[in-house]
Amino acid sequence: MIDPALVSGLSALMFVIGLGGAFTRKNAIIVLMCIELMLNAANMQFAAAAVHHGDTTGWVYTLFAIAIAASEVAIGLAIFLAVYGQHETISLDDVNVLKN
Amino acid sequence: MSGTEVTTTVHSEWMQYAPLIILLPMMGFAVILFLGRVFNGHPFWKKNLKEGGLIALLVMAASFILSLLLISEFLKGYSGLDEVFEQIAWVNTGIWNGGSTTEPVSFGFGIYVDHITVMLLFVASFLCLLINVFSIGYMNTDPINDNRNHRFYAEFVLFCAGMLGMVLADSFLWLFIFWEIMGLCSYLLIGFYYERPSAASAAKKAFLTTRIGDVFLMIGLVMLWDLFGSLDYAVVFDTHNIEIVAENSAGTLQWALGLMFIGAVGKSAQFPLHVWLPDAMEGPTPVSALIHAATMVNAGLYLVARMFPFFGAESLHGDLDDLAFIIAAVGGITAVMAAAIAFVQMDLKKVLAYSTMSQLAYIFTGLGCALYLANTLDWHNDSDAHYIVVVAFGAALFHLFNHAMAKGMLFMASGSVIHEVHHAHHHLHHGEDHADDDFDAQSMENMGGLASKMPITATAMLVGSASIMGLPFIGGFWSKEGIIANAWRAAQDDPRFLFPAMCVLLGAAMTGFYMSRMWLKTFAGKPNNEVAAHVGPTNTWIKTPLFILTFVTLSSILLAGMGFTHWAADTEYSFLSEKNIIEGILYEMEHAFANHDAFFFILTYVAIFLGAVVGPGLAMALYGGKLADGEETKPWMRPVIRLSAWVNKRFHFDNTAFRESSLATALENRLYIDEYYDKAMVNIVAGFSNKVAEVDTEVIDGTIKAIESGSQSLSTVVRSMTTGSARDYILMVAVGTLTISLLIWGVA
Repeated sequence: MIDPALVSGLSALMFVIGLGGAFTRKNAIIVLMCIELMLNAANMQFAAAAVHHGDTTGWVYTLFAIAIAASEVAIGLAIFLAVYGQHETISLDDVNVLKN
Repeated sequence: MSGTEVTTTVHSEWMQYAPLIILLPMMGFAVILFLGRVFNGHPFWKKNLKEGGLIALLVMAASFILSLLLISEFLKGYSGLDEVFEQIAWVNTGIWNGGSTTEPVSFGFGIYVDHITVMLLFVASFLCLLINVFSIGYMNTDPINDNRNHRFYAEFVLFCAGMLGMVLADSFLWLFIFWEIMGLCSYLLIGFYYERPSAASAAKKAFLTTRIGDVFLMIGLVMLWDLFGSLDYAVVFDTHNIEIVAENSAGTLQWALGLMFIGAVGKSAQFPLHVWLPDAMEGPTPVSALIHAATMVNAGLYLVARMFPFFGAESLHGDLDDLAFIIAAVGGITAVMAAAIAFVQMDLKKVLAYSTMSQLAYIFTGLGCALYLANTLDWHNDSDAHYIVVVAFGAALFHLFNHAMAKGMLFMASGSVIHEVHHAHHHLHHGEDHADDDFDAQSMENMGGLASKMPITATAMLVGSASIMGLPFIGGFWSKEGIIANAWRAAQDDPRFLFPAMCVLLGAAMTGFYMSRMWLKTFAGKPNNEVAAHVGPTNTWIKTPLFILTFVTLSSILLAGMGFTHWAADTEYSFLSEKNIIEGILYEMEHAFANHDAFFFILTYVAIFLGAVVGPGLAMALYGGKLADGEETKPWMRPVIRLSAWVNKRFHFDNTAFRESSLATALENRLYIDEYYDKAMVNIVAGFSNKVAEVDTEVIDGTIKAIESGSQSLSTVVRSMTTGSARDYILMVAVGTLTISLLIWGVA
């Protein structure tokens, strides 16, 4: 069995990659993917903690998080579609009407 | 109800099938609606099944036969028994626990059969069946109804289910449920020609007006529930329970019953909730006959008659006499008012509608007086008083029976006239465009001299009118005399009752006038125009029920002889056993024409004189006349027409002065009651609505707008502090979360 500490480390790495991507990329879909990456990093952390403590609560949390992430993606993509319909772009730099 | 209280349950063979009387028409409703949807326009469905008419006829016939079996069982089991009662707990939840009983109350549907039930059950099932036969002849021959008759028949049988259910139900709750089913069907049927704006608004008016009464009925029922902890007849009519309630809250009981009476006022179209009935004539004629003459309007009377055990209870002696007076007074007002409005109506069906209101008012007066007598006389111990109460109550219910039969027949006959006048009009103007046609087939202006063209219809109308007028020996005579006599008897005890007593006496003369006027204008004299001259005889489906009902109305003397005038309320006078029928008839004759009490002897002849001489005499003087030359009618109508022609020639007078008077105009406008209601609506309801609308725009919308503009100005401020780039926001979120986490970690 893999050491939970290694899984925890991998999770931290994934989270940082996701965070960095979300900061730097301007394509909305890529940003969404990065957010998913961060969510899954959290899921892995849950799983690792569950194994470490021998407690099933962590597994259950993971399942919930996956379900909610799925619906969040659906909503996010729908928003992007609507944004594309309005602005003909999904570049985050060009979508800033609230400011003006 | 009297002496020693014995409630015995008689388990009869047919009792267990009694729910089928209601369920069969209910299933018929679903079946006709479904098949009608599927096979609409199919030639077999149209020709052989009459668009569902025959299915309806089948279920109504089955209901009628089951009702007859139940009634005969009841009559056989009836030998001094109080009531036949059986509860079948279809739904027994055991959780409906009222306030004042400790054991769980079963919420079941039961069948309750007593004298009143039996009377109403026969009236309802018999007339529903006959009107169904009539409908097949009336609805299916009019091309305007093509491909939608299934809707008519489906609503028709559901209506019948409602009426039969209301009569058979064993608790006020179920009575109310079926009452509302009827209300719904009445709405649907009045609005059958929903493409006509007048029909649509008449349906709405009928629904809303009766709903006003129903709200009060519901409040009354809730109060009754609160008093008794149940609405089952078995519980509320129990002498012991009534005693307990009488001790503590007789006044509340009077209020509860009074509110229930308002419901009855709405349903039976009495003043001041009568405005819907004349408009309801927008429905097809079979509907007018069924709902607005023969059955639904009787529901209110039935409800009042059901209250008898309260009024008759020894423990409530003298406590409910105010309510009894109100019932009689409402009846008295309506009897005179409706009869007066009927004087000037030109529409054949409207005359009958007002006549219905007036006659129902008679029955209310009769019931009010009977309830008063039952409440104030010591009828449990005194046999003379007992006889008086029983005769008073029986007369009112017998009038209900006679009126339902006669009025059902009159409406069907009027339908037959309208139908044929309409056909004659179409025949004459064949090939022309009828789109902008303003010919009114219901107006008596377009009739006249039809006695020779439609002998059976004319005979039926003649007998029906005579029954309503109370001509000696025919139909309503036996019951109407009873109601008038009992109103005066109550007036002897309590001067307040002089008012309803005068009203019913005056009403008798007025009834004589407007019914004769209607008959003479339609059937006697010369045809008023070309259309009336070309009317032909009617078809068999229409003739059959007319024929049967004419016979029933004429044989009312036999029913009187069998003790119908007492029977409905009497627990000791047993049906057909004490006297044989000949003795019974002789007894009634003696009682009616040679009363030993001088006061009632004179009263009888005054009433007969008013109803059979003054009223018809005036009508003949104004509207009588010979048929056109060469036209002959049946021998039994000849003397009537000849007499009318003679009276007209001898006593004719000019009534233009009256016709142009403001009273006549007021009557033609229904005494402006509708206008007053409209005004009240506009001023009170619309005024209130405007105020509410103001509150809505000023207060509620204002608050929301303030919130909106506030947040808008706030967001302008916030906006200036942001960059507008999504990445910056993500960064802020991340940094913020990190900071908060660190802080929490540090604290922990």
